[in-house]
Amino acid sequence: MPDIRLPAETKYKTELDALAAHDSRPRPPGWRLSPRAVETYILGSDTPVGGVKISPKYVGDRSLVQVCIATLASDRALMLVGEPGTAKSWLSEHLCAAISGTSSLIIQGTAGTSEDHIKYAWNYALLLSLGPTPEALVPSPILRAMRAGQFARFEEVTRTSSEIQDALISLLSEKQVSIPELGRVESAQRGFNLVATANTRDRGVNEMSAALKRRFNFVTVPVVEDLEQELRIVTMREAELRSEYATGVPPSEELSRVLLTLFQELRRGVTLDGRTRVRPPETVLSTSEAISVLFNSAILAEQFGTGEVTSQELAASLLGAVSKERKEDEQALRDYMETVAKVRTGPWKSLYAESKKLLRR
Amino acid sequence: MDLTPLTQMHLFPVRHHSPRTTAVLSRWLEQVRPDVVLVEGPCDATALVEVLCDARTVPPVALLGYRTDGTQGSAMWPFAAYSPEYQALRWAREHGARAEFIDLPVGVTLTVKRTPESSSAPASGPSPVEAIARARGYRSFEEFWEADFEAPDWRPEQFRAVLLAWAAVLNMQPRDEVHRQRDAFMARRLLEVVASGVAPSRVAVVAGAAHVAAFAAGDVDLALAQRLPPAVPSTVTVIPYSFPRLSEQLGYGAGNRAPRFYQRAHDAQGDFRRATLEVLLEFAASLRGRGFTASLDDVLESYRLAMTLASLRDKQAPGLDELREATVATLCRGDASHADAFLWKSVIGHQVGQVSSRAGRNPLQQEFWHEVDSRWLPRMDRPEPFSLQLNNALEVGTSVFLHRLRVMGVPYATHVGSTHDKRNEEQAAGGITALGRVRESWKARWTPATDAALVEKLALGITLEGVTTRVLQARLDAAKTTGAAAEILLESVLTGCSRTVDAALRAVDSHAAMDEDLCSLASAARALFGLMAYGSSRTRSELGDDAVAALGQRTFTQALLRVREACGSPAHDVFLVSNALRTLHEAALSQPLADKEGWLAEARGLMASTEVNPTFSGLAMGLLYLARELPEDAVALALERRLSRAVAPGASALFLEGYLQVNALALVRNREVVRTLDVFLRGLRAEHFIQALPMLRRAFGALSDAERRHLLQHVTALAQSNEAASPPKLDAKEQAAMRDLNADLGKMLDDLDGLL
Repeated sequence: MPDIRLPAETKYKTELDALAAHDSRPRPPGWRLSPRAVETYILGSDTPVGGVKISPKYVGDRSLVQVCIATLASDRALMLVGEPGTAKSWLSEHLCAAISGTSSLIIQGTAGTSEDHIKYAWNYALLLSLGPTPEALVPSPILRAMRAGQFARFEEVTRTSSEIQDALISLLSEKQVSIPELGRVESAQRGFNLVATANTRDRGVNEMSAALKRRFNFVTVPVVEDLEQELRIVTMREAELRSEYATGVPPSEELSRVLLTLFQELRRGVTLDGRTRVRPPETVLSTSEAISVLFNSAILAEQFGTGEVTSQELAASLLGAVSKERKEDEQALRDYMETVAKVRTGPWKSLYAESKKLLRR
Repeated sequence: MDLTPLTQMHLFPVRHHSPRTTAVLSRWLEQVRPDVVLVEGPCDATALVEVLCDARTVPPVALLGYRTDGTQGSAMWPFAAYSPEYQALRWAREHGARAEFIDLPVGVTLTVKRTPESSSAPASGPSPVEAIARARGYRSFEEFWEADFEAPDWRPEQFRAVLLAWAAVLNMQPRDEVHRQRDAFMARRLLEVVASGVAPSRVAVVAGAAHVAAFAAGDVDLALAQRLPPAVPSTVTVIPYSFPRLSEQLGYGAGNRAPRFYQRAHDAQGDFRRATLEVLLEFAASLRGRGFTASLDDVLESYRLAMTLASLRDKQAPGLDELREATVATLCRGDASHADAFLWKSVIGHQVGQVSSRAGRNPLQQEFWHEVDSRWLPRMDRPEPFSLQLNNALEVGTSVFLHRLRVMGVPYATHVGSTHDKRNEEQAAGGITALGRVRESWKARWTPATDAALVEKLALGITLEGVTTRVLQARLDAAKTTGAAAEILLESVLTGCSRTVDAALRAVDSHAAMDEDLCSLASAARALFGLMAYGSSRTRSELGDDAVAALGQRTFTQALLRVREACGSPAHDVFLVSNALRTLHEAALSQPLADKEGWLAEARGLMASTEVNPTFSGLAMGLLYLARELPEDAVALALERRLSRAVAPGASALFLEGYLQVNALALVRNREVVRTLDVFLRGLRAEHFIQALPMLRRAFGALSDAERRHLLQHVTALAQSNEAASPPKLDAKEQAAMRDLNADLGKMLDDLDGLL
């Protein structure tokens, strides 16, 4: 297994094939599955389809997923917005894998993203020897998606500069790329669309223009507020990570619950019973952060600990996650430990003791 | 009795307020063409069918039944244009058929406990139906109903079968005794109609699905009707209703989550797609009106999204949930806050119905609506603020009208306190403050409860003035003290009820002679003087101003006589007596007719007395000082005496508290006073300090921020002068430390300023 991480369409190939084989509903042009089958793929199903159990990929609001799928079947592109770590990219990957059979036509938006990345670039050796020919043209993921009638993905749209974002406007409304060097215009095949993601916390960075916003339907991916639901997500994803990296030992459910309670309480600024106010740290305590804290402690326990995840590993990973950006966040964690964790029983006791050791330094 | 005629009739099950039921019902009636249409609703309201169906009656309207035996009790049966019962009545009227209500009469309904939820069959008990909805993959029963019952374009026969099957499922659970009794009662009515010679096949019955299912199954125990309680005296009328109220009746029937949306669907003959598109267009216009971009393309796109979502969920047409999700994703760009803040209101609507004048509005309603129309007052079911300038007869008249409604307890307008007296907004609506006002701010909102109250109040009189007079007279009869009587006097003036003005004046007079309560006397005196000072354009007493003036003086003197006793007795509430003292002081200084000298003498006596509660001595001193009747050095002297070691620290603290109540700024500005205080506090022994602490905290806690700052400055200055007085033996280092300390203190004060 050479890849650290397989793309969704490879990893869940059996599920996708089974769904495709047993899908009798009409499929929109260019789609591999019907909208209903896509929904089943994303949200999972209790009853096996064609003998294959469909695991849930996204745990959350069904109607949210339905709005995503319905949007993609329309003329508009889909924009997933939300706080960091709310599984936007994860959802985007699985939507593309299920509908287009590929999640790899992807542009990862950065401040350095240029118009070439969005439209096309040239292979300069070929360009010099052959001149502007189709062979010398290097198509962008979006252009490739247009040619194949598949979905392209654009991660972190707001990180790219406004000028570059603007290149998307006509591309999305015309569904065409003009290549003046070759004297032609390439039109998208049916089945083309775009799934973009953007962080709400970064909104100030490069606010999208109204014109660009009009090309998208927006779906806000919420922070998971339900403890049990978040626990399910974290347990599921952490187990996947451990198997992908072939390392770590499984943490106990009790510890995971402690960690997520702590995350939810710090996020809300108040304990779950609503009795005690807590100072929330600046750092985003997302679901994905919780997954990484848990995975981190699993590795620590295996490599340097007793082979069993204890509050010692959890406290160490937690501190690294919380006090990432500012020193004050460490104070927020200390406050939490002193006001909330200290008076609780069970695993909280040892977590409090361990964190006190670490925080004293 | 034989139940077979029941099954031979044309039975149509309905869910209340369901546009689809209404659409299907109209077609069904066209097929059946009955001679008699029997509808679920209070049977003694049959005479009102004419009014309900009148061309000038515009739904939403409601039948209002209320008790006429003097006890409170009323119930409403609302109808929207899309309510199937309403449609059935209209059809009957347009086609010359006889229409009758068949349910329990109002007088019986008002005695059996009636909850809105339990009156509608499909919505009885939320948990089982919610469970069914969830099992079918819907988020709520409303969504399930909308998708499976409202959206499809049913043929009448199919729809009847589906609704009956649904009701049969629900009827498998044990039903309320009341429902069974109602079944029996209605079945009797049906059989009576047949017995009167109408063929069962010529009769159509339109009633809640659970009832109809019981009729169809012959599952009716006619004897149960005997167990109904006897009717109480009651009557029934038609009043306007509104969409916002309809939407509050959750669980009562379909169409309630968003009445305006369902009205649109009804107007489009049950076409929910068209309703969705219309709402989206309205949303876009509303967004543009607020400066957001919302193009026609956005509307089309969100319409398409709603349609795709509906088909993804196997619904035949988009419902409210699809509408909302599409709006948020497209028009609101993923941000639900706009939808919640203002868009969603328009699917609920704020429309108010109209009742034809044939309804015989009662005189109170007539007067109310006449006033509302002629004075251009708000008539919608949404709060609208406005203000009145009380310098012309017209607006004073409006104010009198609104105060009358307030006194009567008719929910329509509420007085909005000015920004200055936010604290006692509750009391500010009436009383002495209202009398001196030149401008009044109100917020008015018509609700069906307004008309309901007007109907219920009819028992008290036939004009607004008459009812207000009755209410005030009743309060006056119950009033035991001068103060309470004076309060009613003021209310009478505000509401322009001249009869109670005179009665209240007489009551004040007779109470004052006997009243021993200082507080009540003081507030009465203030009220009377206030009446003299402000006069009133609202009403005139027949007794004349002289009578008021003389009464005021008498009451004031009476009050002065009670001061000593009230202040000396521990039984009296310190807070109330303090207020009374202030009231008297205020009146003495501002009203030329009041016995000012008398009050000042009384206050001096209080200040010097050691018999009374020290709080009042302090208060009296504060008041005298404030009125410039006491020189500053006298204050310092008195304080020194009161705070000396010879006096128990608790008493000292009480005195201080009383004094600080009046005008703390005056106290803290005088350095001598601060010095005395300082000495007192420093001299307190630990146990005494603890004893006096609660009083001290109260005393100083009441200081404002600015006052605290002054106090701090004085204390610092005093501390410095103390240092200067005792020649310091400080070395250079200590002096530097001292300077730092001073600087720190200065900085602290600055910080304090910053905080303020």
